[in-house]
Amino acid sequence: MAITNPTDKLLFEVSADGRRCLRLPALDVPKVDVKQALKGVKLRAKPAPLPEVGELDLVRHFTNLGKKNFSTDRNFYPLGSCTMKYNPKINVTLLSLPGFTKAHPHLPEADLQGHIELMVTLENWLSEISGLPAVTLQPAAGAQGEMTGLMVIKAYFDKKGESKTRRKVIIPDNAHGTNPATAALAGFETVTLKGNAEGNVDLNLLRSLVGPDTAAMMITNPSTLGILEPNMAEIAKILHAAGAQLYMDGANMNAIQGMVRPGDYGVDCMHFNLHKTYSVPHGSGGPGAGPIAVASHLEPFLPTPRPVRNADGSYSLDTKRPDTIGKVRSFFGNYGALVMAYIYMSQLGREGVRRNGENAVLNANYLRARLRGVYHIQNDKACAHEVVFTDKKQHTENDITALDIAKRMIDYNIHPMTIYFPLPAVTGGDGAMMVEPTETESKETLDYFVEVMKKIAQECKENPELVKNAPHTTPVSRVDEKSATTNPQLYCPMCIA
Amino acid sequence: MPFIQNTDADQKAMLAAIGVKSIDELFVDIPANLRLKMSDSNMLKLPPGKGELEVTRHIQGLLAKTKNAGDYAFFRGGGIYNHFVSTLIDHIALFDGSFITAYTPYQPECSQGTLTFIYEFQSCITALTGLEVANASMYDAASALAEAMMMGKHVAEDRFRKETRNNFVLAGAFNPEYVQVCKTYADVAGLKVIQVQPGADGRIDKEALAKVLTRKVFAVAVQSPNYLGIIEDVEAVVAASKECEALVVQCVGEPLSLALLQTPAEAGVDICVGEGQALGNHQFLGGPAFGFFAAKKDWLRKMPGRIVSETKDRDGRRAFSLALATREQHIRREKATSNICTNQSLCALRALIHLSAWGKKGFVELAEHTVSKTQYAMQKLASVPGVSLAHPNSPVFNEFVIQAAPSLEKKLLKKRIVGGLPLDKYGKGRRGQYLVAITEVTTKAEIDQYAEALAEALKGKPVTVS
Repeated sequence: MAITNPTDKLLFEVSADGRRCLRLPALDVPKVDVKQALKGVKLRAKPAPLPEVGELDLVRHFTNLGKKNFSTDRNFYPLGSCTMKYNPKINVTLLSLPGFTKAHPHLPEADLQGHIELMVTLENWLSEISGLPAVTLQPAAGAQGEMTGLMVIKAYFDKKGESKTRRKVIIPDNAHGTNPATAALAGFETVTLKGNAEGNVDLNLLRSLVGPDTAAMMITNPSTLGILEPNMAEIAKILHAAGAQLYMDGANMNAIQGMVRPGDYGVDCMHFNLHKTYSVPHGSGGPGAGPIAVASHLEPFLPTPRPVRNADGSYSLDTKRPDTIGKVRSFFGNYGALVMAYIYMSQLGREGVRRNGENAVLNANYLRARLRGVYHIQNDKACAHEVVFTDKKQHTENDITALDIAKRMIDYNIHPMTIYFPLPAVTGGDGAMMVEPTETESKETLDYFVEVMKKIAQECKENPELVKNAPHTTPVSRVDEKSATTNPQLYCPMCIA
Repeated sequence: MPFIQNTDADQKAMLAAIGVKSIDELFVDIPANLRLKMSDSNMLKLPPGKGELEVTRHIQGLLAKTKNAGDYAFFRGGGIYNHFVSTLIDHIALFDGSFITAYTPYQPECSQGTLTFIYEFQSCITALTGLEVANASMYDAASALAEAMMMGKHVAEDRFRKETRNNFVLAGAFNPEYVQVCKTYADVAGLKVIQVQPGADGRIDKEALAKVLTRKVFAVAVQSPNYLGIIEDVEAVVAASKECEALVVQCVGEPLSLALLQTPAEAGVDICVGEGQALGNHQFLGGPAFGFFAAKKDWLRKMPGRIVSETKDRDGRRAFSLALATREQHIRREKATSNICTNQSLCALRALIHLSAWGKKGFVELAEHTVSKTQYAMQKLASVPGVSLAHPNSPVFNEFVIQAAPSLEKKLLKKRIVGGLPLDKYGKGRRGQYLVAITEVTTKAEIDQYAEALAEALKGKPVTVS
């Protein structure tokens, strides 16, 4: 019979009647009868069956769970399109000051002066980096930033009386899936734009698609193939000539920050992912923040309240904005995330912003050069902050897929690169392996990665089963993700007692 | 340069390996006239970088220009609550890098830590709501409510193919933050948000509700406890919605109430959404925290957001993985149920630690404690001449509305008291009303001070009646 360490059980499974970590102070007011105090409203039949655990077991549970995770603090994490850079410790230290943790959104405005100042300054910095005059920090994530951007564009056309005719949003086929999902939810029809042989925008094709029914184009630059789009200014011209707007997905801003400003080449609206470019920790999947920057003609439509600096140097929250789209997130968005981005950007300064972009691009190109010939590169030219390899060689020669290679990397303590994206349709039918090293990795780490990838390529030839059955060193072997979907088990049985 | 480890020698070696002379050559696709130069007059107008000491001083300087809930006897909630947050939570979720510096668990073999805690979190939300399927969390209650609206529309489209249903009803007193977000989303989706204002007792006006419940309605939402702190009769809303076959959504602003009150499942709702801040998350001016989202299992495949399931590995051992990704944007693109790609995992982790650290009995005690304190505060404040309870016959959990006089804020602030939230802007006839919130942090002494300060501020003022 298998022996299980309690630390490998769920909290619900180690729960025992009467255990607890926290205690309340003695009640300093008269104790009331709940049923009577609540005027006889129906109460729940039984207490919620939450786990009951002691403090040591609770701490041990989470410490051991932590060991079952790869994280940037422990592992090289070249997950393409996610910008898994180092998250400075000072961010969380300062964020845990009571001035932030106990900042209630309904405090009087006079008590929020430092916070509003921080927001106004952060808006100014993002405005400077984007080359666009106005910024809102309210969207809670990149996807919500996109949604806000399209809402703002829609409101702009509403005001001009054109929203009924401008129904279409053009999206390149290599775009992240969020772009078409957002456009559809914002009530637009999506039109897919096929890329040219280099994976860039085909200008003639674009010209043929753009017309009086076009509301906007959503473009990611650098593209999701890790390539800088060379014709951004021309693309903007084509859209503007037809009265349409250019939206830029700023997910890959890490590559071009401080090098070129999207507003300078005609972008009307873009979002930032502060959890990618400005080091807000990814938090196992969130929270992040997705501010948007807009050209002046879109500014009246931004969400409220708008943090503003008054002529006398004081700060206030402006809600008198007749053309606003309203609110997309309660209160001020993910303010805690904004604080961390602010602290990080304060440390970077103007030189740091630029050097981040330069070194992110240098590191990606170094990996491209070192692994050329080992893995197939569909489009072997200078890349931006990430490089897309494919499994073409290993797949044809040894029937090994990008997924197998990714899983084998885990055995070398490297988090897999992105493999589910871009779709095979835009990588010549082969499985993509999108590697984004970021600027914070050392050359030693990059060299280790190169050696590991070479070794895995060799293993594909000499011992393909080793790769196909990887990983071998993790708490669980390959996980059956299919049955998680066909037969989902979403809660522990003890929680419905 | 901060956080960059490449030395000049490293850069040189790397450029040589790439076969270019300078980093600039890697940016050839950006036309030269658009490129910023570090020496240019059009160089980025950002300040020079600061070191750790300087940035710490700078942040302390900014915070010197603020005050927080801890600086006062504090009586405001309205969606964000001044709860005690155990030190266990920051140690695990903030200072240990294992969860905060990981990303979405796309590779389950090296993400079992995250996947396990999300599964445990989902189980806790099921324990609180009684509803069988809970997702891994959303941005906040407001966006969770907006997502419930979109889901309600999708469900209705499937169930009633021959009908056009575009109305979403918000019954009773809702948090205005939630209403605004719902309206923003409804606008672009071509949906109509119908608000049914509360009656004089602060509860849902049943007659007014009955009038709008037609077959044009795809879903009805009720906030309970509502924005005025009052516990609504959710069962009655479920019954009233039967005939028009609309989905019923319960929205919860203070999830501690779920420790005591009839569960959303017992009331018969289809979907329960809510704000998770009160569960171990700091205030941070309102975010980040998380929205929770739970539903009857019939609606699983229409649900937005990330979901984790138990499964097995190749060797038959228990394992966890993301599930039902076929609903999500990266697979479905323009046909996805939602455009959301992330959840608020770290905030959900905080809630899991909070709920486990209090545990089954502790969480109930916490809620009972709050009820006793709230009852004391109601009696104490209502005993002040010129102050009365705005809805004396309606049941409340941790918040209640007092009727006093307008513009008392400044007088209270002088005594280091942030009194209840003025409701002047919330609705007609609410001049001089304040929404008072109580938590386990509130002491009897603070409540007494508040009453005393109110008495002094109201001396000589005529008693106003709304």
